[in-house]
Order: sequence, then structure tokens, then C-alpha cells
Amino acid sequence: MSSQAQINQNSLKPGRWVKSTCKMCLHSCTNRIHVTDDGIINKIEGDPTNPSNMGKLCPKGNSAILRHYDPQRFKQPLRRTNPEKGPGIDPKWEPISWDEALDICAEEIGKSLKEDPRKILPSLEDFQKFNIWTWPYSFGNFNCFQSAGTMCGGAYHPANGYIHAAFASINDVEHCNYWINCGTGDGFSSHLHAAASSYHMANARVDRGMKVVTIEPRLSTSAAKSEEWVPIRPATDRQFALSLCHVMAEEGLCDYVFLKKDTNAPYLVGEDGRFLRNADGDIWVWDATDNQAKLWNDESIGDFALEGEYEVEGKKCKPAFQKFRDILDRCSPEEMEKITTVPAEDTRRIAREFAEAAQIGATIEIDGRTLPLRPAAFNYYRGAQGRKKGMQANHSFKMVNFMVGSIDTPGGHLGVNLDEKMIDWIRTQPGDCGQMLGEPHQLGPVPPMSYPPNEYHLLSYFPVGVNPPHLNLVVAEDPEKFGMDFEPDVMVICHSNPLWSMQGPREKWIDFMKSMRFIVVSDIIPTETTDFADIILPSHDVLESWNMTMIEPPFSEGQCLRQPATEPLHDTKSEEDIFYELSKRLGLVEAWYGVINMVFGFDQKPELMLQPDRHYTDKEFAELKGKLWNGKDLDWYIEHGHSSTKRQSRKAYRPWDGLRLNFYIEDLLNVRDNLKAAMVEKGVPFVDEWEWDDYQPLPTPDLDPIHEEPPEYDMYGFFFKDIQLNFGEGLSNPWIKDIVFRDPVHTAILMNSKTMENKGLANADIIRIESPHGGPIFGRVMGVETMHPDAIGVSNSLSRMRNENKSVNRAGGHFNVLLPYDLRNTDAVTGQPEGACRVKITRLDDWPKFLMEENESETVYEIVDHIAKGKGVH
Amino acid sequence: MARMGMVFDLKRCIGCNACVVGCKQENSLPDGVFFTRTLSEEYGVYPSVKRVYIPTLCNHCEDPPCEKVCPSGATYTRDDGIVMIDGDQCIGCSACAVACPYDARTQVTQESLEKGLYGTGELTPFEKDGYKRFTPGTMVKCDFCSQRVDAGLDPACVVTCPTDARIFGDLDDPDSKPSRLIRERGGRTPLADKNTRPKVYYVD
Amino acid sequence: MSPNQTTFSGDSFQLGYRFQNYWDFHMATAFFFGELGAGMFLVSMYFGFVPGMVLGLLCTGVGKPYFHMSHMGVPAKSWRAILRPDRSWISRGLISIVVFVPSAALVVLDVLFGWSGGGMLGKLVALVAVASSLLVMTYQGFAMSHSSAIALWNSGLMPVSSIVYALTSGAAVSLALSVFFDSTISLVLSKLVLVLVAATAVVLLSLLHSSYHGTVGARQSLELLIKGQFARNFFLLVIGAGMVLPILALWFGGASILSSLIAAVGVVAGFYTYRLLIFKAGVYEPQISFSARLGLSRG
Ligand SMILES: Nc1nc2c(c(=O)[nH]1)N[C@H]1C(S)=C(S)[C@@H](COP(=O)(O)OP(=O)(O)OC[C@H]3O[C@@H](n4cnc5c(=O)[nH]c(N)nc54)[C@H](O)[C@@H]3O)O[C@H]1N2
Ligand SMILES: Nc1nc2c(c(=O)[nH]1)N[C@H]1C(S)=C(S)[C@@H](COP(=O)(O)OP(=O)(O)OC[C@H]3O[C@@H](n4cnc5c(=O)[nH]c(N)nc54)[C@H](O)[C@@H]3O)O[C@H]1N2
Ligand code: SF4
Ligand code: SF4
Ligand code: SF4
Ligand code: SF4
Ligand code: SF4
Ligand SMILES: [Mo]
Repeated sequence: MSSQAQINQNSLKPGRWVKSTCKMCLHSCTNRIHVTDDGIINKIEGDPTNPSNMGKLCPKGNSAILRHYDPQRFKQPLRRTNPEKGPGIDPKWEPISWDEALDICAEEIGKSLKEDPRKILPSLEDFQKFNIWTWPYSFGNFNCFQSAGTMCGGAYHPANGYIHAAFASINDVEHCNYWINCGTGDGFSSHLHAAASSYHMANARVDRGMKVVTIEPRLSTSAAKSEEWVPIRPATDRQFALSLCHVMAEEGLCDYVFLKKDTNAPYLVGEDGRFLRNADGDIWVWDATDNQAKLWNDESIGDFALEGEYEVEGKKCKPAFQKFRDILDRCSPEEMEKITTVPAEDTRRIAREFAEAAQIGATIEIDGRTLPLRPAAFNYYRGAQGRKKGMQANHSFKMVNFMVGSIDTPGGHLGVNLDEKMIDWIRTQPGDCGQMLGEPHQLGPVPPMSYPPNEYHLLSYFPVGVNPPHLNLVVAEDPEKFGMDFEPDVMVICHSNPLWSMQGPREKWIDFMKSMRFIVVSDIIPTETTDFADIILPSHDVLESWNMTMIEPPFSEGQCLRQPATEPLHDTKSEEDIFYELSKRLGLVEAWYGVINMVFGFDQKPELMLQPDRHYTDKEFAELKGKLWNGKDLDWYIEHGHSSTKRQSRKAYRPWDGLRLNFYIEDLLNVRDNLKAAMVEKGVPFVDEWEWDDYQPLPTPDLDPIHEEPPEYDMYGFFFKDIQLNFGEGLSNPWIKDIVFRDPVHTAILMNSKTMENKGLANADIIRIESPHGGPIFGRVMGVETMHPDAIGVSNSLSRMRNENKSVNRAGGHFNVLLPYDLRNTDAVTGQPEGACRVKITRLDDWPKFLMEENESETVYEIVDHIAKGKGVH
Repeated sequence: MARMGMVFDLKRCIGCNACVVGCKQENSLPDGVFFTRTLSEEYGVYPSVKRVYIPTLCNHCEDPPCEKVCPSGATYTRDDGIVMIDGDQCIGCSACAVACPYDARTQVTQESLEKGLYGTGELTPFEKDGYKRFTPGTMVKCDFCSQRVDAGLDPACVVTCPTDARIFGDLDDPDSKPSRLIRERGGRTPLADKNTRPKVYYVD
Repeated sequence: MSPNQTTFSGDSFQLGYRFQNYWDFHMATAFFFGELGAGMFLVSMYFGFVPGMVLGLLCTGVGKPYFHMSHMGVPAKSWRAILRPDRSWISRGLISIVVFVPSAALVVLDVLFGWSGGGMLGKLVALVAVASSLLVMTYQGFAMSHSSAIALWNSGLMPVSSIVYALTSGAAVSLALSVFFDSTISLVLSKLVLVLVAATAVVLLSLLHSSYHGTVGARQSLELLIKGQFARNFFLLVIGAGMVLPILALWFGGASILSSLIAAVGVVAGFYTYRLLIFKAGVYEPQISFSARLGLSRG
């Protein structure tokens, strides 16, 4: 090569590489960042030494540079000078010093802290920084305004907690041969390190010939790459899963050895739904060999009965498995087809293929252990489980795996941890009578039930839940009804855009935000939410800060270092510093550090525990977490970037060996009864409104309320993520815009072309969409063959609303306003809200005024038209 | 002599367009300029419907019409088969662009370089540094990251591709990964009837 | 139409036909001026009709370069276009212009002032002017016909259409000029125009016909021209104004001032529109399709 001046490839320019970790979604693929000698970040590549993402980055990870240099970034602390708040109304920001800004915040937050800490409504949503997330616990506040964990994991995490004692779950890509993907982008577009998962998934598909079947109302990326796309009516996946189980049970396609030995399926259940116990509390089972009841741990048991009806100690009882079979009697593929629209013969075929692929009885030797090999597994996430009866939905999907014994075993469906604390930490614990302890509270405990409620979103009424923040609105609409004796008046928001992410009508959320005395937001760029802040505390971005994390790694473990590639571009601070400064002013440092010691597990190595008299920077937090993981100091991490290794097989496969899995979740009944009793005892007036039927130890085919809406709402509406987008966040990033608005999936409301015709609609018609819960929103319809005829699909690319960020392109309103936010559509077990809705569609002659008149940023549709004609986004 | 080429494994490609962003990053491409695009094709009737993702870039044709029509000699082929444009020689006549059957070429305009990625007329440091490579008004296209190739590296899009759907290497070497794939899975070239003899193959 | 049919994809990431928009109206205008001017020069030269020769020379010598330069990305370096006559029709064309302009100018001067005195040199220069004008008329057609990229253009009829359009429009404008400057040649010119318009029509029809039987790209272009978004202008201007109108005018009006003017304006409008539309309707074909391979029908 000639002189350096002629070097055009950014990655070859004179400079240095910095090893770091991506955060363009919540996950943690590691990367290397190129910084030129002039200090310009001009290239980010995946880190090839990481066995997880193997040097790969998704488009989001590739586009971090443009967020770093985004001219719209907040450049210093800001104070609002325009008291009027509203979407797109210029807050007339005035730059102020950090000290001034922090003092104001401390004073305003302090007022509420003194009066009643419950008045503080936090929305702290950075999954890579649980030290910030848990800050409110330092003053005993469990309020929550962030939407994470409700639209997605509200029921998912507790269910994984019960079944795997884990936070998440994924199929074993290394051994699986038949992978059912139901309502999730796992391995293709979203969830669990999308860049990493799609790499391993592609290898499994192409090199090993793994078969993928995707259950979706839309031909997603996953469906596009599958051998088979099974279109399903939205919100009926539970019924589909149960129909699969029906076939397997009916045809004896089950791993009976697993069910008998490794689960509580043989435990006898009395008529009250509880396990039948002797006076000492030991559970009875039926020995089919001796034809008599024995205690669960009786060594003389010849054969555990899974089916039949018995009488023990004068009580009628059945094995849990039989109870499930009783339910399955209602779930024949033919019967379920009426709900799911999946042809019964397809269901039967898939069930048989699945069971055959599971190779029941096969074993494999891994690291000196002989393990069952069950290379068929059912995987799912938000799209399938985000349901009113979310716990039952999750449970039903796990049941498909239970039937063939493919849980936590090679080739099967494996528990995935949130963030393994220590290298030798095993997540599973023994529970009652040989069962594994179910751990539904993966994100920390739910506070004890209180009346009047201590949490504005009623968290303590969902003892198995994560967070039902949408209920803030239900309560705000009628605080008396819920006996509220406080009113939130301060919002502390960091790394969260609730005004975008929450479901329910925007005007009401806006009113809710307007009712606050004070709102402080820490973000990096203007969003729908920052428009309502009184103070902006700008934070460093991912390329200029420290962190150590590992979030839901699908098949690895370890810690990943984030380190600054450059000095901060602007007068910003790390979140750690921001919350330290606030805590110091509020007298919360000691309490906060106490919480962090627990959450991060520093208390497991006392020498690492945070000292209350010290200030820990983001860098020091990173160092401590690294040390906790493998004893290495920061220099080691700076050199290596991460300590990520393939997950140890003893953790991945049957970490609970010797215990029995919760096939039948008896605990749900205990939780239900305890809650009910507490509610009755405390005289909670809305006790009769609680939908106790949602609590089921086994999943049922009972319909969710979405199917019982007024008939004029004749279609189903749902939204979806894709690999290019992190929620709606990336939509102000020029590179992301340049690809997203060129992809036909993201440029219009998707509708089956036949349905479109039947409705008298034509391509590109402008439509109004309403649901029984809200709206309208507007959009342009596109007829496709890739949608279930009963549904419309709306990409997150069409979700952004008017706000101060001029790079954001608005569409015809945010899908979330159509979604229900009421109790009827909330899982009484977990607080999971229904994630889809019924909709009614009307053709319009033109766009509504608000989209035409405002001389604002271009709309998405303008960009799309521009692209259709020629070139260029602008 | 080496003959550099690429194979796209359509079974692997998930249409994520990470390659597109990776390329934009490596090459500091202005808004709306692409050296590579991943297209999607849908076919069939519900419910028997399929979608294929089809990555595209300059095919580095062995018989490149773009080079033949270039009146200035700016378009040339390196010894290793990479078809290049010399920005110092190009006059921006766009004869090559209408000669390329694959629409693989784009003209960089002064306007796009001045407007910047955010459309504000102000350039980020990334752009200020990166846009130096362009002579406004000239034609640009994928050059297989020739400088990376010279340095023994894979092209940027290949490196980032999460599914390894892009396989790069020497087509003259029968044992190279792309050669083997073409042989074993029956590589097809795009618009073969145009007789441009692409060095880019598709396996499905 | 179902959207999963292969259709026009603009610059979206959908497999489909992509519009050629590199050669835009600047190029069309340059082509137009080049061909019109060379044709006009040649026809007028044949008739020794100086105003036509001069106007033709101006069209090719000024109009064409002006629009070429305004299209050129790096105009300051446009001289470089001359470097590859061995393979590039653009280079050859540029050379032909470089040769044509001075030789044609010398011819004009010769007709006006007789500098050659009818000697060998004058004849040689005239020969060079004729030859280069023919090249100017056709090279653009050759440049286009050599493009396998745009199927519509990839036809031997392209240079033929260039030449007939050049001569027709050249003759038509010469006719219009002649009624003012030298009506003695008007009648012959009007007959010539009639014949040439008819010839153009035949060439155009053959072009459409061969597109219909050509590759998918050519068929798409044809659809755009006769059914799609360009059909109106195609029928109204290219066929109506450019062919029907001049034939009617000249047939019924002879070489009158009015009919000559109508014919000239019509032919020129038709030609210019043709140049524009042939560019606009040029499409790239979908690069590679997998639907047929998997044996699934299109929706
Ligand atoms: N690229 C990307 N990755 C991400 C994120 C992101 O924003 N972008 N966010 C992260 C977070 S916080 C989460 S929670 C996860 C979510 O990860 P996923 O669960 O993969 O998320 P979604 O795309 O929301 O939903 C998955 C699919 O469900 C489909 N779907 C909708 N309704 C139904 C239904 O009723 N039944 C079935 N079977 N399918 C349905 C949608 O079409 C969609 O393709 O991703 C994480 N990873
Ligand atoms: N329509 C629709 N609604 C949804 C979803 C959907 O897919 N579609 N997904 C749902 C799900 S699963 C979830 S988890 C939620 C997610 O909801 P949110 O977490 O609210 O989603 P984001 O928009 O990603 O908000 C993150 C904010 O953090 C800011 N940020 C980024 N980096 C930094 C940083 O380094 N420091 C700080 N302080 N801020 C930073 C971003 O600018 C952004 O404003 O949304 C839910 N709502
Ligand atoms: S999947 Fe998430 S963490 Fe990984 S590269 Fe993409 S944005 Fe970054
Ligand atoms: S990065 Fe790879 S998988 Fe993604 S679109 Fe490009 S070629 Fe396909
Ligand atoms: S693909 Fe186009 S630009 Fe690339 S070598 Fe072939 S003809 Fe030239
Ligand atoms: S635009 Fe440049 S590279 Fe293309 S033909 Fe003209 S001079 Fe050659
Ligand atoms: S090889 Fe290099 S220049 Fe070509 S598309 Fe890939 S990244 Fe871009
Ligand atoms: Mo989420």
C-alpha cells in the first residue's frame, strides 16, 4: 500500500482497537472499536474471540457510531424553561451546570422522599446496569413506570423460574434437530443476543440440517428461514401447544421415564388441586407395580403411575399427569383448530415429527456425564406468551417439552440465566419433597401485599409477577377504587422511554406525566419521554463509558467489559456517577450500596463489597464485577475484553439432577390462596374483581378475553420487532433508517391480500385502525401473502410519535394506543398484559390533518415514497 | 494469480442487512449510497408462501461491461480480479452505471457529502474523516474492500455477517471455501445470460 | 396486483425491476441535440442549405456539450472521456464530435466563402464532416445498444432509431427553416420528412415489437411505455405529435409555412419525448430469482 493518506478502509486507518461490549440492544455481544489517531471512532466489529457472537454484529451493533456522533445528543444538563408540556412542544431547554441540576433534582426528589417515598415513580430500565435499576429499593420503593418485563417477560420470567429456576430459556442449538419457534425472533431477529444466536442457528440449520418450524401469524424472518411456517391466529398459541400435547399423550409419544423420574408428574393430586400429603407433609404417589400408594421417596417403588384415578387415605386423587390428560381431553387438534385455525392434520403431523425427532430414550455423553439426548424442543417468547393468561401460556409451551423430556437436556429447551454471578454458581435449589425449588422471582422479590397499596401499579397483588406498570393508568383513573393513600408526584427516569413503550392511550399517559410535580430524565438523545422532563441529566453513551455485564447469554457465561473508546464528547456523566451524586444528596448511598452488594452478588465475596463511605465510578463497578466472576482485575479485562466461554455443561444440562421439575405448579395455588386470604383479611374492596381463574397449576385451553371482544372488531392487531430495530429507538439513526425503510416489511401495515380485497381495500390505501381500548391510529395498508388472514401486523418502524428529536420520522400513530391496559386483560398471576388486540379497520380518503399539516419531520410514508421513486432517504 | 470472489449462501442469509451497515461504516458511505444491498423476494400464495433474502453487490465480473464502456479508463480490473474505480480518473459520466446490469454503481454527489447523514449540513467527525475518500461527482461501488484484502482480511460485510452467509475467497483455488461451496452446492451467477461472468455466486 | 409479484422496487430492498436514473434529462437533452444537430447538418449540407447547417452545427457543437457537461460528475476532467476509443463508444463519440465540429464548420465556411475552391481538401473535409456526423448520429445508439444492462436498449435497432430520428428531426427543422430562407427546397424536404417519419414509425414499431419478444426487462419497459406511467406521453407526444401530426400536416398541407412548422414542432417534440422516455423506461432486471427454482407460483 502506498502512503497512509490514501487508506480508505476505515478499519485500516492508523489507530488502535479497543475491546468492548455492545449495547445497541439490551444484550451483550462483545466487539472491538477502532479509534483513529485523530480520536475518531470509525469502525466497530464483532470480537472474534467471543464464543457467543464469534465476531458477528447485527445491524444495530454496527450502527453505534452514529448514535455516538448524533448531533441531537444531549450535550449538558438542561432545565426546562417552558412550563407547558406536550408532545413536540419545545421545552425551551436552558443549559445548567451539573451541580445546579443535581441540586434541583435532589431537592425535588427529596421533598417526596421526606413526605412519602412512595410518591417517587422510577423508570430505570437499563438491563446492563442493575445497580441503577434497583436504586429505588434503597428507599424501599417498589413503584415502577418502566415497561420492561411487562410487555415481554411479565409471565415469561416467573414461568422460567418455576420450570428451570432460570430467567429465560432457549433451545439447545448445539444438539437440537427439530426446533419449534413460536412467536419469537430467537435465532433470527430478536431476543438473546440476536447476532450470536443467528450465527449458531444458521450453523445448526445449514451444517447440521436442523429443522425449524415457526408458529406465527406472520411470515417473520424466523418463518422465512424455516422448513415450515405455520400461520396461527394471534393469541391462540396456548391452545395450539395443548393440541400438540394432546396428540403426544393420546399416541403415547411421551418420555415416560423422564416424566416419572425427573418431574412431579406422578405426584398424586387431590380434588382440591393440592398434592396429596401424609401427616408429615410428604407427597403420595402410586406405585403401579405394587398397585398401592407410596410416598414420593419410597425406594421400593417399582413404577410410578402417571395415569389413572386412585384413592389414598380416603381421598380421591390422580397423578398430576392424569390431571393434565383430563385437560387435554378438551384439546384435540380438531377442537383447537376452531380457535387457532391450524389444520388438525398439520398439528398431528408436527406433534409426531416432534416426538420422533426427540429420540426418546437416546443418550449422549458430555463431559463424562451420560445425559438424555432429546434433540427436539419448543421455543417461544413475547409474541406467544404476552397474553392475558400469560402464566398458563408459558406453562403450556413448556408442557410440549415436558412431554418428550426435552427440558434442560442436550438438544432440548434450556434455562438461561440473567447474569450469572460467579463462575461456580449453580442456580437450582432443592425444594419440597424432592422437587426443584421454583424461583419465580428472577428479578427480585415482590413486596408483601399491602392495603392501601404501597405500589401505584399494584405490584404486590401479583405475587408471582415482574411488574405491571400499565396498571399505573388504571389506578390513576380511579385512585379511590384502589384505596390509594398517596399520589406519585416525581418521576425518576433513566434509560427508558415509557411514553413510547407503554401500552394504552397516549393522551392518558401524557396527562399522567403532566400530573407530576417533577420529572428528571437521564437519556442520551431526545425521545417522546424527554419532552416531559423538567431536568435532563445527560449520560455517557456506550462508547465512552465503563461497564461489566452479561445479559441472558443463550449459550455462554462470563462477563463482558465495556470500556470507553474515547473521552466523552459532551459534558455528560455515567449513570453510576449521576445516581451516586443524587444518593449522596439524598442520604441514600449506604442503603443503595447495600442493595447493590446483594443484587450483584458482591456479598458472596465480602472483600468486594461496596463500602458506604466511598464513591464507586462506573469503572470501579466494572472492575468489581470482573473480579467477582473470575478473580481477574481490570487490566486483564481491558486486554481480553471479556471472560465469555461456552456455558459449562454442568450448568446448561440438568443442573437440577436428582430433583424433580415442576410439571404441576402447585405453588400457584398456594400463592393464590395466600393472596386471597390477605386481601380478605385486609378488606381489600376489589378482591372480587381478581380473576382467580388465571391461577392454574396446569394450563387450560380457556379463551383469553381478546377473543371475546365485540364482533365489529373483526381483526387481530399485533406489533413486532426485527433485528434492525431496538424497540423504536434506532429510528433516529441514519444507517438504520437507510435500511429499515427500504425493507417492505417495515413500510406499511401488513394485511393478507385476500382479506384486503374482501374489505374493499387496495394497496397503499390509507386506513384508520381502532380497537375496543383506544385509537385511532392511521396507516397505509399493504396486501401480502405473508400474513394470517385474521390479523394485521405493525412493525415498530411505524411507531414513533411527535417529539423534539427531529431525526425521528413519525407514522400514523403508535400501535400501543390500541392495546388494552385494564385488569380484565391482565394476567392475575403475573401482571402480564395482553400484547395484542382486536381491531376495526376503515378506509380513508386522505391522511388525517395532524399528519399533513404540521410542518414537522418527514413522515415514514414520505420517506418510503421517496425511496420507491428513486434514491436517498432525505 | 488469485481471482477473488464471493458466494452467498441463501440458506443462511436472514436479511438482516448488517452487511449493509457494516459496509457503510467501513466505507463511510453517504445517505442512500449502498455498495451492497440485501433484497427480499416473496413468492407463493398464502399459506404456501416463502421469502428469500438475496444479498447483492458488485459482482466483479470477469467480462465487466462497466469497464468496457468507461471512456476515461477509470474503471479497471486488478490482477486479482477485483474491479476498481479510480476516483482520480473518473469523470462521472455514468456510462458504467447504465452498463452494469446489476445497478451496482452509484454516483457520489457533492450535495450528499455536504448534507451529511443527518441532513443538517453539519458533518460528524466520522463523516469529516470518512468523506475524504470521495471525489464528488465520481462513481463508486463495492471494491471487495480491496485494501482489507491486501492486508489479508476479509471484507467488512463478510466479517460482520451474523450467519456467515457471505463467503469470500480465491475462486482460482479449488480448495477455497467459496470454490468448494460453488462446486458442492451448485453455484449460480446472477443474470448469467448477460454474459458478464460474475465472480459472485449464489447457493440455495 | 399482488405485491409479491416481481414489480418495480425503486431503491427499496425488494427484488424487482429497478429504474435506471443515471441517465436523466440532461443526458436525454444532450443526446437529442447531438442527433438533431448532426441530422440537420447532414440534410442541410446535402441541400447546400446554410441556415440548417449552421443551426445543426450549433445544436451539436454547443447544445450537446452543454448538456453533457451539466450531467458530468467531474466536468473539469471531462476531456478524459477521449482516452478509451478502443473499447468505449463514449470515447468514440467524443472523438467524432471533436472531429465533426471543426470539419463541419469548415464545410459551412466553404459553402459560404468557397475557401477550398472546390479542391480536394474541401472534398476531404466534407467527407470527414459527413462521416463524423454519421458517427455523432449513431454512436449514442451504439452506446445504448451495447448495454446488456437495460434490455430495452440492448437492441440493434437503437443505432437505427438514432439515425432515423436524427435525419427525420434534422430534415423537419431544415424544412421549417427553409420556408423562411429558401423555399425552393421546401417541397422536396417536406416529401423527405414524410418518408423519414414513416421510416421512423417503422423503426419504432420494430423496436416495440422486438421488446415484446425480448427479455423480461424489455417487456417491462414496453409495458411502462404503452400501458404504464409513460403511456400518455408516449402516445400523445411520441406517436401523436411526432408521427401522426406531421404526416397529416404534410400530407394535407404540403410545404406550406403552417404545415411545415407544425410538422417540425411535432417531430422535434416527438423525438425529444422519445429520448426522454427511452431513458426513463429503461429498467434493470431482477438480479436473480429463486421463485421459479422452487417451483412455486407467483401470487
Ligand atoms: N432486534 C431486537 N432485539 C431485541 C429487542 C429489540 O427491540 N430489537 N428487544 C429485546 C427485548 S426487551 C425483548 S422482550 C425481546 C423480545 O423478543 P421476541 O420475543 O423475539 O420479540 P417480538 O418481535 O416482540 O415478538 C416475536 C414475534 O411474535 C410475533 N407475534 C405477534 N403476535 C403473535 C401471536 O399471537 N402468536 C405468535 N406465535 N406470534 C406472534 C411477532 O410477529 C414477532 O415476530 O427481544 C430482545 N431483543
Ligand atoms: N409497540 C411496541 N411497544 C413495546 C415494544 C415493542 O416491541 N413494540 N417492546 C416492549 C418491550 S419488550 C420492552 S422491554 C419495552 C422497552 O421499552 P424502553 O426500555 O422504554 O425502550 P427504549 O425505547 O429502548 O428506551 C431506552 C431509552 O434509553 C436510552 N438510552 C440508550 N442508551 C443509553 C445510555 O447509555 N444511557 C442512558 N441513560 N440512556 C440510554 C434511549 O435513548 C431510549 O430512550 O417496550 C415495550 N413496548
Ligand atoms: S444483538 Fe444486541 S448486543 Fe448483539 S450486536 Fe446486536 S445490538 Fe449489539
Ligand atoms: S449480514 Fe449476512 S445474513 Fe445479514 S443480510 Fe447480510 S448477508 Fe444476509
Ligand atoms: S457488477 Fe456491475 S459494476 Fe460490478 S463489475 Fe459487473 S458490471 Fe461492473
Ligand atoms: S462514471 Fe467514471 S467510472 Fe463510470 S464510466 Fe464514467 S469515467 Fe468511467
Ligand atoms: S466487500 Fe467491502 S465494499 Fe464490498 S459490499 Fe462488502 S463491505 Fe462493502
Ligand atoms: Mo422486553
